[in-house]
Amino acid sequence: MADVEMKPVDDKKEDEKPTESEKKPVPLTPVAEIKANVALIERAVSTLEPRFTHRVLRSLAQLRKKLDDKVLQDAVQEVYSTDSASKRALQSWLPTVTMDHSMDIDAATIPSRQVPTEPVPEVEIYFYLLILHHLLASPTNHSKATKLAHETVEKIQALNRRSMDPIAAKVWYAVERTYELGGELADARPLFLAGQRTAALRHDDETEASLINRILRSYLHYSLYDQADKLVSKTTFPPAAGNPQHARYHYYLGRIKAVQLNYTAAHTNLQQAIRRAPPAKTAPGFYQAVHKLSIVVELLMGDIPERSLFRHPVLEKALTGYFEIVKAVRNGSLSQFQTTLSRYAAQFEADKTYTLIVRLRQNVIKTGIRRLSLSYSRISLRDICVKLHLDSEEDAEYIVGKAIRDGVIEGRIVHEKGWMECGGQKSGYGPEVSDVFSRRVAYCLELHNQSVKAMRYPLNAHRKELAAAEGAREREKELAKEIQEGGDLDEDGPDLGDGF
Amino acid sequence: MAPPQVVQLYKEIQKVFVSGNLQQTGVLLTKLKIGLTEAGLLVPFGNPDPQDLVLARDILEVGAFWSIRTKDIPSFDRYFSQLQAFYNDYSSILPPSPREYPLRGLNLIRLLTQNRIADFHTTLESLPLPADSLTANPYIAHPINLEQWLMEGSYSKVWNAREEAPTEEYKFFVDSLMGTIRNEIASCEEAAYDSLPLKDAATLLFFKSQNELLTFAQQRGWQVDLTAGYISFAKKTEEKVEIPKEKLISANLQYARELEQIV
Repeated sequence: MADVEMKPVDDKKEDEKPTESEKKPVPLTPVAEIKANVALIERAVSTLEPRFTHRVLRSLAQLRKKLDDKVLQDAVQEVYSTDSASKRALQSWLPTVTMDHSMDIDAATIPSRQVPTEPVPEVEIYFYLLILHHLLASPTNHSKATKLAHETVEKIQALNRRSMDPIAAKVWYAVERTYELGGELADARPLFLAGQRTAALRHDDETEASLINRILRSYLHYSLYDQADKLVSKTTFPPAAGNPQHARYHYYLGRIKAVQLNYTAAHTNLQQAIRRAPPAKTAPGFYQAVHKLSIVVELLMGDIPERSLFRHPVLEKALTGYFEIVKAVRNGSLSQFQTTLSRYAAQFEADKTYTLIVRLRQNVIKTGIRRLSLSYSRISLRDICVKLHLDSEEDAEYIVGKAIRDGVIEGRIVHEKGWMECGGQKSGYGPEVSDVFSRRVAYCLELHNQSVKAMRYPLNAHRKELAAAEGAREREKELAKEIQEGGDLDEDGPDLGDGF
Repeated sequence: MAPPQVVQLYKEIQKVFVSGNLQQTGVLLTKLKIGLTEAGLLVPFGNPDPQDLVLARDILEVGAFWSIRTKDIPSFDRYFSQLQAFYNDYSSILPPSPREYPLRGLNLIRLLTQNRIADFHTTLESLPLPADSLTANPYIAHPINLEQWLMEGSYSKVWNAREEAPTEEYKFFVDSLMGTIRNEIASCEEAAYDSLPLKDAATLLFFKSQNELLTFAQQRGWQVDLTAGYISFAKKTEEKVEIPKEKLISANLQYARELEQIV
């Protein structure tokens, strides 16, 4: 395993070295990086290993920031040596940069680097992706970007190559971004839906996963939870999709479920999203968003999130409002809850968690009653009313009655005397324990099976093992033979020895 | 442009509806719906004239209000889902309707009375208003408050709010809402009290006369002791906790199989 993993890195270095020496001594210029990536993509296509393409795409986020017209021009110049149709097409999207001082270097390098054949179409699409990202960086190019996005998508669909899928998925992201920057996200939906259907038919898992997420995002952006829910129930998310896509999908599912009051399912989905998300430092935005929602859902389920969560360096600042809410719920104080809610209303509204937090009101009351029932064996309704800031004793009676029926507390109301008597707590050891146990075991087994599935085996590695096994069998045979002849050998032994 | 007879009927229905003649409105609505379908406006497609769309929307709105006045909830449901296309998809080209939010609020209350809380929240979430200004809209604030009180158990507040409905139509839902509340309270009482004086039970359940209470008690199967004036609630006997044998066995077999695969 180890050596296979290492190889591409070595390759990359080899690729970089000549370019570095040809160009300036700056380590890894953007152009060089693009060229290295192109080499990787070609390798991925020739060995049918999508891993290399993924490696290329992982660097996209950093590379995106370094792009400018000249870098792209140079890269196109260097990769496409022969004057072909695709080269001209690519160049038509780039403004003709004044090729001042770099011109002579280019002229010098092109002949030295002989690229005898035309690069694979994946490389072309990769360039389109880069150009698209570059165009998106400046708002003036918006109309151009939209046109390019459409053309690229058409080209991808016409080419229909499986080795292109990972890049295509990224292109779709760029398409979404184009529409979003233009403020017309809703208009992109028919395009996405059509693309999703095609991708599903072609078993193009990467693109399908990416597109399902695009559509869900667009629905949730416009708060169309009904449609989103229908989409989820009508499609199956490809299990082969990458972790980031999975994380996003689970996050959207969590949101839909939370709105539908299905908190347990929402919690499971959000947990998955957190586990599958990239590390907190690389994608702080997503990490924070998931945690915000997950805290609210946890509160709605009646749990209190862990304290350590709010000390996490990435989350600490983003979660201040939520921390206050958690404190209010924990204390069961309605007035504290209301003031916190109004103070952070704008933030919650921006996070789209406001309506969920408003639902917490009843949980605050429930926690309050539970605390009272734990500390008093008998308490008058009037006192409950005062302690929980309720409006009237009448309300208190109904609320306590409901709490008893819902199983929040054990106890009963004595109406004539106007008090509540609290019963003892349940022992907490029943058949539900085995349920919890089996749930945890199921989780562990699932984890094990998933990790077995996730293991990768290098191609042809079993040959070596086969050879080894062959050898072992041979040895075994010899051994068996020896043992068979063992009796004679032992007897012969001294004779032989004598002979020597 | 909409056919002239549709426009004619439209003017007529507005007059009839304002005068409160429900039967006549119903007849006209049927005619108008046929007219709209022929003009391709009932379920609009393509790029129809905004003015025609406003006309179609008004007719559907009348239909929605009419269904509530005639207490035909399924019909309201149909009208409202047709209206949603106008409210959501054509919102950019149509002038906002003054009846939009009353109808949206009514729809929310309908979901509430049918105890479809999940749908209630989904609909609430998809309203085109920022979440923290929802309570500023009287038509929407009413169902929101009702839901909150119902959930936390402040039933007396719900009872008191029935007179504060923002429009007449909201009151049509009050009766069914009260039925829901009574059943809720009754189930709470069964769990929370051993026994309850008749008089107090009547106040708790918002009954005005003892007879109403007695029939209700009969429905729920409560034991009423008229001489002492008490209702006693049949104690639910603690059901014996059975060990779920089959479930445990199948779980253990499952573990054994999985372990076999691992080792």
